[in-house]
Amino acid sequence: MKKTIILSTLVALLCSCNPETWDLNITGMFSGSSAGIDQRIDDSFAYNDEHGFPLINALAEEYSAYVCTDTHVDFTRKYWETFILDYRHDISCPIAIHLGDLINAQRHWDFMRRPLDSIPVNSAKKDTLLAVAGNHDLYFNQWSEYLRLWKRSTYYAIVRTPLGKRDLYIFLDTGEGILGQRQTEWLKQTLNWADTQAFRHIVVCTHTHLFKRDTSQGHTSNMPLEETYALIHLLKQHNVELFLSGHDHSREVTNLGSLTAIIIDALNDAEPNPAYLIATMNDEPIKYRFVNL
Amino acid sequence: MKKFTTILLLFAALLPAMAQVQYGTTQYAVRLNVGYLHNTTYGSYAGFDIGAFMPINQHFEMQADLRFTTANTHAIGVQLRPKFAVPVGEMFIENRLLTGIYARDGFNDLTEALAIGYRMEYVSVQLGMSTRLIIPSPYNWHESVNIIVEPFNLCYRIEAFVRPQTSPWNISLCISNMTDYQIERLWQPIFMAGGWYSIDEHWQVNLSALCKPTGMFHLNAKYYAAEVRAGFAYNF
Repeated sequence: MKKTIILSTLVALLCSCNPETWDLNITGMFSGSSAGIDQRIDDSFAYNDEHGFPLINALAEEYSAYVCTDTHVDFTRKYWETFILDYRHDISCPIAIHLGDLINAQRHWDFMRRPLDSIPVNSAKKDTLLAVAGNHDLYFNQWSEYLRLWKRSTYYAIVRTPLGKRDLYIFLDTGEGILGQRQTEWLKQTLNWADTQAFRHIVVCTHTHLFKRDTSQGHTSNMPLEETYALIHLLKQHNVELFLSGHDHSREVTNLGSLTAIIIDALNDAEPNPAYLIATMNDEPIKYRFVNL
Repeated sequence: MKKFTTILLLFAALLPAMAQVQYGTTQYAVRLNVGYLHNTTYGSYAGFDIGAFMPINQHFEMQADLRFTTANTHAIGVQLRPKFAVPVGEMFIENRLLTGIYARDGFNDLTEALAIGYRMEYVSVQLGMSTRLIIPSPYNWHESVNIIVEPFNLCYRIEAFVRPQTSPWNISLCISNMTDYQIERLWQPIFMAGGWYSIDEHWQVNLSALCKPTGMFHLNAKYYAAEVRAGFAYNF
């Protein structure tokens, strides 16, 4: 009994420890000290209200969407720079997406962001990089830093082709392993609206993956079972084609009928098998391929 | 008598909740519970639980549980528990088969857990592995939909009691990723509290509560679900 109490206390202390300050915060096990999903939704929606949603023009009916995740930039950023170079040099790419865990821990935001200013864009085109927050982007009150540089984590973007066909990209904030009530409501409303808009493709982009099909990252967590099932049901009801996520660092493709859920490999420099994904968007069902670095 | 029963039920309602299986129980029992449940996905809903506990002999016991909810998610669970006495307490192997019917979302899941446990008067602990099959429902054999397999999951349960488990009343606190109706992933601990009061040798009232936060392993925990259930057990 004594041992149980000691062990439980130790686990509780370790679970609530902030390595930055060595603060111990037991209540953090139940209510995190970083901005919660409701706060983040408020901030994202405030930005959406003020600035609207990105509308991106593709140069052709067929274009490429570059997607990477889990760059975990800290003191090096080799693969992150490669990704930026690749999508900026590809004339068929109007949209690049980062699925979260942009940085590994505090104080690396500006270092992570710098290549976006220094690597030139192919002069024949414009492109846009969009991101969502991952758990590493939130740890220990980093939401304000994320917000400073990336502005929002719950929103959508539309890519429009020269002939006026449109693809919808929905970005969801699952950085703490939960969608939450308000974001779920927003997602329902957005998908209901999308049903009336005749989008060519609908893609959902977020950080946290749906299932635990392997042991690739032992403790990596995802959403509660109830929320996972409800989310998939909702996405299938509204003909979402692709659910793109990261977090697990290990590639995985799950076929759920009309919906394909993909976990993309991590792109951090310490990763043994770094890769990103290129989705080909045209009038056919979405095709994708992984690019191993 | 009616007034007495009402008072006892009220008293039970003040207790935190009930243990899964009481160590030392030798009577067959049937349990009925009604619960208020809430999570941030479904909102508020109600649950109705029926359970049977069968201590077949001193080396083997079984438990069966059924849950129906107004959210149109249901669960059926069977537990087979070989057990053997050790100098202090009892070792057991829990073999648990659980079907979750998430009819509202078109999914069924089938979870098999095998755990080694030790229980004594004040403490019960379990550690094991579980495997889950997630099956879209209705399953379309002509569509190339995967049955999703989550092959390896650690399951655990630590429960402590304030009095010996054979006491006529008790209060327990528990942390686990397993309830009678769900086995969550290892990073999704569920915090439970429970209590019971035996009115006589046959009737027992109980109350239980649980809280399921999410995001603990994202280091940014947040409330996800809670439930309070109350009911009674009849011991044969």
